[in-house]
Amino acid sequence: MWSSLPRLLGGVPLTLQLVGLALAGGALVAFGTALMRLSSNPVLRGIASGYVFLFRGTPLLVQMFLIYYGLGQFEWVRGSFLWTVLREPYWCAILAMMLNTGAYTSEILRGAIQSVPHGQVEAARACGMSRALAFRRIVLPVAIRQMLPAYGNEIILMVKASSLASTITLMEVTGLARRMIAQTFAVFELFILAGAIYLLINFLAARLIRYAEWRLTPYLRARA
Amino acid sequence: MSSHPSASGAAPASSSDAAAAVVVEDLHKSFGPLEVLKGVSVTAREGDVVTLIGSSGSGKSTLLRCINMLEVPDSGRIVIGGEEIGLKTRGGRTVPADHKQVERIRTRLGMVFQSFNLWTHMTILENVIEAPVHVLGVPKAEAVDRARMLLDKVGILAKADAYPVQLSGGQQQRAAIARALAMQPKVMLFDEPTSALDPELVGEVLLVIRKLAEEGNTMVLVTHEMGFAREVSSEVVFLHQGRVEERGPPGKVLVDPDSDRVRQFLSRHLSQGE
Repeated sequence: MWSSLPRLLGGVPLTLQLVGLALAGGALVAFGTALMRLSSNPVLRGIASGYVFLFRGTPLLVQMFLIYYGLGQFEWVRGSFLWTVLREPYWCAILAMMLNTGAYTSEILRGAIQSVPHGQVEAARACGMSRALAFRRIVLPVAIRQMLPAYGNEIILMVKASSLASTITLMEVTGLARRMIAQTFAVFELFILAGAIYLLINFLAARLIRYAEWRLTPYLRARA
Repeated sequence: MSSHPSASGAAPASSSDAAAAVVVEDLHKSFGPLEVLKGVSVTAREGDVVTLIGSSGSGKSTLLRCINMLEVPDSGRIVIGGEEIGLKTRGGRTVPADHKQVERIRTRLGMVFQSFNLWTHMTILENVIEAPVHVLGVPKAEAVDRARMLLDKVGILAKADAYPVQLSGGQQQRAAIARALAMQPKVMLFDEPTSALDPELVGEVLLVIRKLAEEGNTMVLVTHEMGFAREVSSEVVFLHQGRVEERGPPGKVLVDPDSDRVRQFLSRHLSQGE
């Protein structure tokens, strides 16, 4: 069993790439979506709500299949520059994960923005800050700190969800485990090892989030 | 609709007074069906301490918040240091004509809130330098020097690097006063600055405000502290249901008012162990 470990660990870089790129892209998507949902423009609000509704309400696996298998059926997709990206399972997996986490994260961020005490915003405006400046200096820093615990959950969910990429031929940790099982029939051992690898990644991720929380909220530590 | 009350002492504000720091004329403001201000006029000349009193719901806080446009009045004029705040109607609502103008005027008005509203993610020093650095563009070193001076003045220099949660209510309010002063405002606005404080902490905050009054700062103050109002005010304005019921020097309004309503209000407030 242990002899398979080094080979299985070879899938970790790909798993981390999928998660890292999806989270980075998802954060940008989430930021834009949250701003749109909070805007006074009903069209922007509608677009953002529709996106969140779709991507939060359907399984990630289905989204991945639709992007990887589905989009290739359209002539115009294959004829366009998009095809250079969408024919790669790597980018399809990242795109699906990014859009999925973007929808969830935008809701986390929106909630955090709305929970910033109104008095603090009012104090900023009363000093002559513009809406944009008050948002940048007061609202966003407070909101990001407030969303960290919930966002930590989202990171862990994405690490686990990356195993779905194995269904579209990617050889990350789960993909490798399945291939090795097909060769050795050691189902139990290999999935135990794969599970342990995810556990370790998530353990480190959780530690990292807690450290970030600790660093960013000296004012909460100070209370004690 | 806006028939003025026949109450005594409802003096018309003189809009032509150039030395006036704050002129509010015939202000009307409704929240939905509730008309909170029904044509109120108030003037504060430079160096004046104008105190707004009245029972809750009388409109005194709304009036104060209209001065720096945290509430936008439905009609009326607001003139700060000779500059009238432009208003326009859009979609049946009154809105500021020019947000840049409102933001510029706000930098000249220091606001102190009932609930302090310090920025919780910043230290006290960071709170005080935030607006000077990011709104006025004051160099950071200069802002820090000034902030330390102000924190010393309000007696909490030792707490400069603490976070708001580490301070008592009285200390937080003094920090908030320092934050407002850091903008070197022409007028200070106080919205019930001691109402959220434990009784034993009220004194330290009033002491600071009194010091500012004695230094000749122009202030508009909403308070329930009648004894304090009597000592620091140059004029007291009593509001009742959105109108000025009585106005005049504190020695008159708070001691021997013409209005029975004011008399009742005072007896209620003074009997509460002022």
